[in-house]
Amino acid sequence: MKLFPRILVFSAVAVCLGFFLSVRSFAVGGDDWRPIDPSELKSNDPVVDKDADAEVIFWEAKVVDEVQEGVDTVYPRTVINHYLRIKIFTDRGKESQSKIDIPYETDTEIKDLAARTIKPDGNVVELQRKDFFDRTIVKQGGKKVKAKSFAMPNVEPGAIIEYRYREVRNNSLSFYERLDFQREIPVRSVKYSMKPLAIPGFGFQMRPFNGNIQNDFEKKTETFSFWMTNVPAFHEEPKMPPEYEVRPYLLVFYTSADDAERRGAQYWSAFGKRIYDNYKSYFKVKDEVRQAATEAVGSAATDEEKLQKLLDFVHAKIKNASSDASGLTDADRAKLKENKSAADTLKRGVGTERDISLLFGALATAAGFDVRVVRVGNRRESFFNQSLTIPYFLSSYDIAVKVGADWRVIDPSSSYVPMGMLLWQEEGEQALLSDPKEPSFIKTPLSPPQKSMEKRNAKLKLSDDGTLEGDITVEYSGHVGIELKRLNDGDSPAQREQNLRDKIKERMSTAELSEIKIENVTDPVKPFLCTYHVRVPGYAQRTGKRLFLQPAFFEHGIEPLFSSSARKYDIYFHYPWSEQDEVWIDLPTGFSLDNADAPAPFGAGQISQYRVSIGATQDGKTLRYKRDFFFGGGWNIMFPTTSYPSIKQLFEAVHTQDNHTITLKAN
Amino acid sequence: MTKKLILVCCLFVVNPTLARAGDDVPQWLQQAAKINVPSYEKDVQAVVLLNEEQVSVSADGRVTTVQNFAVRILNREGRSYARAGVPYLTDTGKVRELRAWLIRPSGEIKYYGKDEVLDVISDPNDIYNELRVKAVLAKDAAETGAVFGYQATSEDRSIFGEEEWEFQDRLPTLSSRFTLTLPAGWKPASVVFNHAKIEPQVNGNSYTWQLDNLPPIKEEPASPEVTNLAPRLAVNYVPGDGGGGALRTFTNWAEVSRFISELHDPQAEPNDAVSAKARELTAAAKTELDKIRAIGDYVQRLKYISIDFNVGHGGGIRPHTAAEVFAKSYGDCKDKANLMRAMLKAVGITAYPVAIYSGDPNYVREEWASPGQFNHCIIAIKISDDTQVATVIQHPKLGRLLIFDSTDEDTLVGDLPDFEQGSFALIAARDDGALMRMPVTPPEANRLERQTELVLRPTGAVSAKVSEKSVGQSAVEERRLFRHLSRPDYTKRIEAWVTRGTGGARISQISPTDNASGEFSLALEFDAPAYAQLMQQRLMVFKPAAVSRLESLFLTEAKRQYPIVLEPYAYDESVRVTLPDGFQVDEMPDPVKLETPYGSYATTYESKDGQVFFTRKLVQRAATVPVDQYNAVRSFFEKIRAAEQAPVVLARK
Repeated sequence: MKLFPRILVFSAVAVCLGFFLSVRSFAVGGDDWRPIDPSELKSNDPVVDKDADAEVIFWEAKVVDEVQEGVDTVYPRTVINHYLRIKIFTDRGKESQSKIDIPYETDTEIKDLAARTIKPDGNVVELQRKDFFDRTIVKQGGKKVKAKSFAMPNVEPGAIIEYRYREVRNNSLSFYERLDFQREIPVRSVKYSMKPLAIPGFGFQMRPFNGNIQNDFEKKTETFSFWMTNVPAFHEEPKMPPEYEVRPYLLVFYTSADDAERRGAQYWSAFGKRIYDNYKSYFKVKDEVRQAATEAVGSAATDEEKLQKLLDFVHAKIKNASSDASGLTDADRAKLKENKSAADTLKRGVGTERDISLLFGALATAAGFDVRVVRVGNRRESFFNQSLTIPYFLSSYDIAVKVGADWRVIDPSSSYVPMGMLLWQEEGEQALLSDPKEPSFIKTPLSPPQKSMEKRNAKLKLSDDGTLEGDITVEYSGHVGIELKRLNDGDSPAQREQNLRDKIKERMSTAELSEIKIENVTDPVKPFLCTYHVRVPGYAQRTGKRLFLQPAFFEHGIEPLFSSSARKYDIYFHYPWSEQDEVWIDLPTGFSLDNADAPAPFGAGQISQYRVSIGATQDGKTLRYKRDFFFGGGWNIMFPTTSYPSIKQLFEAVHTQDNHTITLKAN
Repeated sequence: MTKKLILVCCLFVVNPTLARAGDDVPQWLQQAAKINVPSYEKDVQAVVLLNEEQVSVSADGRVTTVQNFAVRILNREGRSYARAGVPYLTDTGKVRELRAWLIRPSGEIKYYGKDEVLDVISDPNDIYNELRVKAVLAKDAAETGAVFGYQATSEDRSIFGEEEWEFQDRLPTLSSRFTLTLPAGWKPASVVFNHAKIEPQVNGNSYTWQLDNLPPIKEEPASPEVTNLAPRLAVNYVPGDGGGGALRTFTNWAEVSRFISELHDPQAEPNDAVSAKARELTAAAKTELDKIRAIGDYVQRLKYISIDFNVGHGGGIRPHTAAEVFAKSYGDCKDKANLMRAMLKAVGITAYPVAIYSGDPNYVREEWASPGQFNHCIIAIKISDDTQVATVIQHPKLGRLLIFDSTDEDTLVGDLPDFEQGSFALIAARDDGALMRMPVTPPEANRLERQTELVLRPTGAVSAKVSEKSVGQSAVEERRLFRHLSRPDYTKRIEAWVTRGTGGARISQISPTDNASGEFSLALEFDAPAYAQLMQQRLMVFKPAAVSRLESLFLTEAKRQYPIVLEPYAYDESVRVTLPDGFQVDEMPDPVKLETPYGSYATTYESKDGQVFFTRKLVQRAATVPVDQYNAVRSFFEKIRAAEQAPVVLARK
């Protein structure tokens, strides 16, 4: 319980990070500093972004893949020479750029590290060898993660800092390496030089993404160069595309010489055939699999019914070892034997996501379906582009089953994904259908808004002091439900209740919840369901002769989705969704509706519609509020930056209408 | 980059092995695992079955510590308590043994030996840090009902003849004991915090303090820190002859003062460069306060970095020399306080280091004279009667002292971070040093004043001008955003704040001004298309507080276990609303006037010449309100919220 015995350190207020220096001049890495342009030192005006607190003047990395010959061995390695020069404009720039950490792992060495500050008056303060700290961040057994850490001396607005080092990654080559061209501060000039290793039978590929990356090749040294200028800083924004859809970068990798030569359809055809070959043995049906398929299908008549039965079977009978809901600990997982066939998975009743998918494929084959493995893009990480011929971006595996003339893509490994849907990141994406003869791309469907619905019902009673109390039922289906199941399935029942409480209190801090029931959390088919009793003191505002009530109970306290006036990146919603609310409120005795006018409906064509109706029962004692909203109709989930004002306006209108208040008048 | 460093620590996976011969579960853990656990509320995640530490001190100051710890996991969230962490200093200490076991509900036992122990840097942010932690993380192997236990043996060399022990953290603890074994003839003297005195059981030279069946300590908003709720023990030990031998011991605060002064004073001599800089900074200063502000601002803006060598030998207390810190332009809290002291000395102002605990104003206790109670260093500046600020204390011998934190770069001279206000802190002034209560600034010194002009249109649209001025800790919050966020991010933050109260607002002007005197001002102009709601073209309803309406309450639970800690704060807003043509006031909320020992609140409304005038004023005093007054405190804030949500109703003429 006692954490830091006998250690007395007056340094608890680590409000910021630090820097370390030596004022004596001693160049660790030799005298290879490039001359400083006096105008750069003198200038206090950012070049790329007028609001910049610091700017990279240049950032260079020379990457060489090579073979290192040891005494008895020959091994590959990547050597990268880094050099950065940064101009500081403000105290914030000083704060963020003064301390440098260079993490590295066991097989990597950091050599020839040198750093210096050029003060605004031109004086140079260079770090000594003792100013660089080699820290072991963590070690266990023979493994270590280390970092070279140092602080730049005398950093102040107007100063320039620069550092350089050699990174040697032993036993490594540039295989699917992402080389970034953007940082958290603007960059005036960034350049990568790349000298790949000539490996017989292999080709080297370099693919630039998301920016105006220029390139060149110097034949004499066999070195490729890629560069950009005036790269703005990277900032996160709400509802933006995946990070690596907007950050400029270079992807470098080795492929077989054959693949390197192939282009477009030719490439994917060869790749799709290889996938088919790799997995075809899994779909050779053994007796026990055939028997299981027969039992699972039972009396199902249609193809749809048969596939549903098979999906239900794998969800019910096979424990997903990767899922939190499996209850397996790491120790349990470590003990699991590898399933080498669908029969193994069936016999053991537990498997990886891949095992479960392949078992489903085998069962479907046994049931007479034509089955393929498909490789699918993953919109969570990036948007797949088949013209790039990089299978790296087809990171998901699913099963395709032929139903009639069409291929139906099914994800049996994700426990909560119902038939007819995929995980959101796999919907609306390209999928490569493996085939022995003609592999092809198919597009996975994007579920319409109605499939991912929050269906909410409230039966409430309003007191004359403004307290609202009653019973709530909320049903989450489709992607909304899948996400909630994944969030909650690893939690204890007590924690699930707390998650719900926190969510409600976030928008209505006075809400008191009781009789909470959260159901179907790990059910593969049924919607995620919450029921509870709620009491919200001070929900409605009371004045002398009126009560003001926001009937949109489920939207009360929600902040506008977009608040910033500026927008840099496209607007990207993960999936279409819809909301359907029905709220019944018994009005307090002594009050009657003064106005119950509903906000006007509005929308954006097939993309989104918002409709509210408000009415009262005939006796005038109960208010009925209905709200229907959807967004993302017509497969519209991505919008260019230029649409931001319209999108923002639409959600502001939703927010305004949701805050619509009705008046109750004292009789 | 820091995130990356932390992340990589998580990449290491512990793969425990099945228990082997020699790795048998120790008897104490077997017994602990058999204990029947009382039933707790369902949100209690784990229960500590045994929390034991045995410390053996040798005459030359070597200290050997044996820890035995066992915890039962009560639900899935409790799995994170299946962990062991034993800190050590690389210069003086080592962890001789760390072994752990996980006893699963099935009876299966997992053993964690040498190969599963992680050795982790204690703070990845520090450039150099001698403190490391040997750890076992068994969360991913644990499950509900499992018992995790570990035993550790560590060695260190102490410079102080004292020990501290926390009987529990927030988890319920069934048995907690601390045993101290001293050389023959040595005697302990103990003091217990947050609990009645505990007499040790004596067995030869061993002394054992024990508490059993400690209930869980629930987290509550605005609660005292757990260090003020959980029982804690502090023990001093001295040889029978009364001398400390190799160990430094303290019987009163003057001795602690002398000890710290001895470490600090030689470091605080200004060299020529420091003196020259001090003179340069104060060249334009007209008053003593101007000089202090000029130097304080310079020191606060130096980069914070902590590099402590020889921590096990007191290196964590002694600052680097002022000359060194000035030359390097960085330092930690004690370095900054020391440099400031040297610079003040260079311009003829005397100052003293102040040892304080940062993070909990009630942590330091007067009854235990020990430097071990502090973790932070600030400064006390001797001032004349001409200097008048809110953060001055009167020392019986040293006179008026201005207290200043030279590390917190957003709390300027004349103010003190709220988490230090009211704390006991040691003025280290050799024989004149004393433990003193730090100043508590009044609510008015942390006030925010706002003036709002709203012009309503017949459509419900509004044009708004907001002008704010804040001082003290209110200004610190504003300043922190302004100084540390990039300009685009600052703009986004202001936009989010405004649209929270006024949906759809378009901001046309944001003008922040950070005044060197400590005042922060912010002027805004914005328009919103639907600020007021028009009802059937007949009524118009709006809330007159356009920004920072109290929407959310922090005291919402029906029951409360611990006192409520309130910090001093005040705001005062005047709103003038110009009504749209054709409308007149139909109904205005009743004014509110609340007066309590811990605060007051008032609203007023007036309608005159086509305008509505609204004021709201809160004064929240620093207080620790007893738990039996919880409902009253809760009601106070509920009424404020209701008042700020109350609308004004206009009717068409």
